[in-house]
Amino acid sequence: MTSNHDNASSKSKVSSPKVKMSNLAKREERLAFRLLLPALLIIAIIAFYPLAQVFYTSFTDRVFASGQETNFIGFDNYQQLLSVHITTLDPVIDEATGEIMIDPETGQKVYERPLDVLPREPSRYREFNQFSLFGNRYVVGATDPSFIQSVSNTITFTVVSVFLELVLGLAIALVVNSKFRFRGSMRAAMLVPWAVITVVSARMWEWMLAPSRIGMFNALFDWMGVIDSPIAFLASGTYQLPAMIAVDVWKTTPFMALLLLAGLQIMPEDIFEAAEIDGAGKIRQFITITLPLLKPAIVVALIFRTLDALRVFDIFQVMLGQSQYSMASYNYFQLIGNRNMGLASAIGVIIFILIFLFAISYIKMLGVDQE
Amino acid sequence: MKKSSGTFGVLKRFGFNFMIIFILVYLLFPFYWAVNSSLKTESQLFMAPATAIPRDPATLEFSPTMQNYSAVLRDGQFLRGLANSSIVATSTTVLALIAGSFAAFALGKLRFRGRRPALYLILAMTMFPQVTVLTGLYAVITALGLSARVSMIFAYMIFTLPFTTWVLTSFFKELPDALMESAQVDGATTFQTFKSILLPLTAPALVTTGLLAFIAAWNEYLFALTFTSIDPTARTVPVAIAYFAGAVARQEPFGEIMAAASLVTVPLVVLVLIFQRRIVTGLPAGAVKG
Repeated sequence: MTSNHDNASSKSKVSSPKVKMSNLAKREERLAFRLLLPALLIIAIIAFYPLAQVFYTSFTDRVFASGQETNFIGFDNYQQLLSVHITTLDPVIDEATGEIMIDPETGQKVYERPLDVLPREPSRYREFNQFSLFGNRYVVGATDPSFIQSVSNTITFTVVSVFLELVLGLAIALVVNSKFRFRGSMRAAMLVPWAVITVVSARMWEWMLAPSRIGMFNALFDWMGVIDSPIAFLASGTYQLPAMIAVDVWKTTPFMALLLLAGLQIMPEDIFEAAEIDGAGKIRQFITITLPLLKPAIVVALIFRTLDALRVFDIFQVMLGQSQYSMASYNYFQLIGNRNMGLASAIGVIIFILIFLFAISYIKMLGVDQE
Repeated sequence: MKKSSGTFGVLKRFGFNFMIIFILVYLLFPFYWAVNSSLKTESQLFMAPATAIPRDPATLEFSPTMQNYSAVLRDGQFLRGLANSSIVATSTTVLALIAGSFAAFALGKLRFRGRRPALYLILAMTMFPQVTVLTGLYAVITALGLSARVSMIFAYMIFTLPFTTWVLTSFFKELPDALMESAQVDGATTFQTFKSILLPLTAPALVTTGLLAFIAAWNEYLFALTFTSIDPTARTVPVAIAYFAGAVARQEPFGEIMAAASLVTVPLVVLVLIFQRRIVTGLPAGAVKG
């Protein structure tokens, strides 16, 4: 080891001029690289090739598990996934009367069929959504409406569940951080949801949310008298996303709570004592001391929760199957179901970019990375 | 907590206890339901309305069954899975903590060029969905000729290493530079400072990060399923549980899956109980004065 040498120079740091300082800086830089080496080696061995391959494959038409020839197709996969087109839908004119046709059953205006007005080149656009604005009717078409739907599902899921997890996790961390008798057991109990195997937990919730009184929730609501007939939580469009969010919040709040708790633990107690003496109330202490000091922990927890939420797979795959996709479960469907590896890789890259944007905006918004 | 007295104090304590009970019920009830389901027979599982304890379908008396548990324990797969999972998750955690804390010290406390790119490079490792990297990863593992267990340990670095590195970096950053400088003035090398001063001070963070990484590795399914396809003896618990379904024709053995899930969750809770002392012990007051 070079410890003797280091000793000499750290001492000289205190007393001697700048020439030595730059020497010290160099040594610090070398130490940094040595310390980073194991992590970088692991990345180089295990992650570099797979990640590079995903980027490359996303520009090809590679078919999964086949000997078929692969062609470079540029941005075609991205175009296929992301092409969106909005156009007006004109009301249909009744040829006999020359007036706008009204549906006799619903009393609503009849509009053109979306398929007739949406473009067919370079590939056919299908209807994703319709909306009215200033008396006009519009249709949103996409070349891959399922993907656009999966993006909207995933982002809604991520924003709502990560927000709820942050609020609940912070509340739980604060409660557990105060001293009380069963604090130790509470910490262990707290981790149970995170510890239940994800695939199994999805099964468990599927069972609890069963569409008849076999399921815990329907049995409970029926007993309480709040519902007349059982609710199909996982089949009806209204409840699918809220159910996914509820399951995820339950499962991952402990992760958030534990990370924030570690952040609280590391805070020196004397700051709070000083604040107490200065007469600052609990709420003021929380806002002016706890939150700012907790910021770095919050940012890291947010980044890793968001990262997982944007890649959510298990619960969508197990509980909703093919009826409603998350981006990752759509990705899985394209790869395994359609064997469209090029397209699946492009989805992977899009998720990658989304995660990156979220991570950067957390860091910028909370101003953590000062330097 | 400060001791409060009078009616207000009683109310406050009551509110606090109520909150604790509420949190516990919220977090534990679904797990209770899994245990409840694991004690039911097939016909009890399909009773409507569902019962909060296993009841006899005819007489409605309390009648739990242990058949699911004995089926799980008789299955050699499951016990071997437990051993495999322990080996894989422990090695993953140790490796991720060592490499992660080294990197985190450099990233959080040392000045060098390329600090930020290195931070993002490490995070970028984990930003793809697992399915997408699976084929590339499989190719790497075949090329290196790694065994199934070693493959899993390395593959799990993809999600554990960025996690440990980032969390620990944020904790190292929090520790005041004065601490390091004073140690250096006392004649310690930078690495000695790291090992004997900074590392112990961040013990709560290390234990928490380790536990969370351990559980993430313990629960991983997709990589494990793929890498053990050629070597069934290396199957981890999640994969072993998934194969319950294949073993029994037509009906999915839901009760057995729940029994297995309850059985694997218990050791994890015990593990947390053992380590929680380390999480509780925060910093002694005044240890890090800026």
